[in-house]
Amino acid sequence: MSAWLHLFTLELAVVAIALLVLLWDAFAPAAGRAVGWTTALLLGGVFAASFFVDGRGTVPHGVFVRDEWVVFHERLFLAAGILGVLGSIDWLATRTPKRQAEYYALLLFSLAGMMLLAGARDWILLVTCFELMSMPLYVLCAYGKQDGPASEPKLAAEAGLKLFITGAASSGLTLFGLALVVGMTGTTHVGGIGANPAPLTIVGMLFVLAGFGFKVGAVPFHMWVPDTYQGAPTPFVAFLSVAPKAAGLATLAIVLLGGWSADSSVWLPVLLVLAGASMVVGNLFALPQTDARRLLGFSGVAQIGYALLALGAMSRGGLAMTLFFVATYVFTNLGVFFVLHAAAEEGGGHSLARIAGLSRRSPWLGGALLVFLLSLAGIPFVAGFWAKLFVFMEAWNAGLVGLVVLGVALAVIGLYYYLTVARSTYMADGDRTTPVPTGFALRAAILVCLIFVVGLGLWPRPLVEAADRAAAGIVSGR
Amino acid sequence: MTVPSSHLLILAAILFSIGVAGFFLRRNVIVVLMCIELMLNAANLSFLAASRMHSLDTPGGRIDLQGPIFAIFVIVVAAVEAAVGLALVIALYRRKQTVSLDDVVDLKD
Repeated sequence: MSAWLHLFTLELAVVAIALLVLLWDAFAPAAGRAVGWTTALLLGGVFAASFFVDGRGTVPHGVFVRDEWVVFHERLFLAAGILGVLGSIDWLATRTPKRQAEYYALLLFSLAGMMLLAGARDWILLVTCFELMSMPLYVLCAYGKQDGPASEPKLAAEAGLKLFITGAASSGLTLFGLALVVGMTGTTHVGGIGANPAPLTIVGMLFVLAGFGFKVGAVPFHMWVPDTYQGAPTPFVAFLSVAPKAAGLATLAIVLLGGWSADSSVWLPVLLVLAGASMVVGNLFALPQTDARRLLGFSGVAQIGYALLALGAMSRGGLAMTLFFVATYVFTNLGVFFVLHAAAEEGGGHSLARIAGLSRRSPWLGGALLVFLLSLAGIPFVAGFWAKLFVFMEAWNAGLVGLVVLGVALAVIGLYYYLTVARSTYMADGDRTTPVPTGFALRAAILVCLIFVVGLGLWPRPLVEAADRAAAGIVSGR
Repeated sequence: MTVPSSHLLILAAILFSIGVAGFFLRRNVIVVLMCIELMLNAANLSFLAASRMHSLDTPGGRIDLQGPIFAIFVIVVAAVEAAVGLALVIALYRRKQTVSLDDVVDLKD
């Protein structure tokens, strides 16, 4: 056996679970919740194993490096995967009881792609992992409900097609850019660009940057985000809105800070324009929305802007705070979408009017939604407050004063629309008075998100330190 | 007489531009998918052209293999994209009886 296969233990385990789920469905189809719970528990086992498996090292030729950076991302993606599975169990078991295994298997394949992505240091591996992550998402997006309201499968197909077309075109953009980069530099190593690259290499890298910009949903490449969030199945949107975004940001960090740091004067202005435009467009377009998922789509665009701002600080601290920001965003956004899903499952869709009076009917759900919204808005003392504060501090220290002022001003606008949603759940009267029915798995997922958001708000230090250690894998020094 | 590698690169750039233009201008989903394939194949052609350039420049006869290997992976990506994309088009057609992007406008503010 090769001496480096143990580096991929966790990824292989995830793929093995995916194959197990597929085989189970093929030979002994189970209609209940057994497949979902087994997947969630096995993934939980992989997550626990990540604390005991000490597989740090480098694959020959430096194609794949497993260090603290990769370990941090593996745990983050696994956590998002576990919560994504938990949140889908009840929905799948009631809506598509005969087509459950494919959903979990596709989600797990995507998860494996993300986990590998963080360690890739070679363009070929990076692009392949990126596609492994993206392809299952296109399919899952159109995972139509068979017995929902008549419009839902149509919307899901449209959402899937829109995500696919933008995603495929951005892959084309990335690959053509890479053809120029690899052709000019003569190496497929991510760090092979070096100082003073040829003009054609710079053009190629800007293509690559635009391609990845599509995937993280930064303005001006954000058109698909609100449409896809509105049309795709909500439990899946919860996963789509966090894990691939985190993976895309990790890729940007590997490519820009890790591989191309020598010529930051070329890409830094581009990155800062993307960050500023995302903050402005995301926050302003979220204001008039009446559909909760569209509102969260634009809010997600705005949050990506904040994360890119910290990335633009180009320091180890800035990168660490990008990671911290993304990690808190993962738990917060998963939680918001799960609560909205619980409220919408009752029938009536995802309009903001639908959640009016939610906290009177189900105080726990309403309270959880309030905490998540406060975290997205950045109110002390929940996780999102520290995330925004640290991001702005790092960007300020890096001299990005103008963008920090802009970001703070826009965060106040963000406060307005997040609290409008929260207000309607507490103050407005809904048309129903009975508690919202929720499944056990969905409640468990919301509870876990809530624990993390509140816990990280009260005690952010462990995650900050972990993020700092992880960032050292990409940016050395201070 | 051999074709200079730079001509191949220019051809690839033209193909890519046609793909991008078609992507934005055409309204039939199938044609849009074809334009995406054109973009990916333009990438393949430039990978191979650059590899040829490097190989011809090296006097020892060492052949640069990174381009061809990358191109094989791009072909795999293109195949998967075609499979997933056409499946999505079929799903859309079954539910809406259309493959025109002008009719796919249910998701909006």
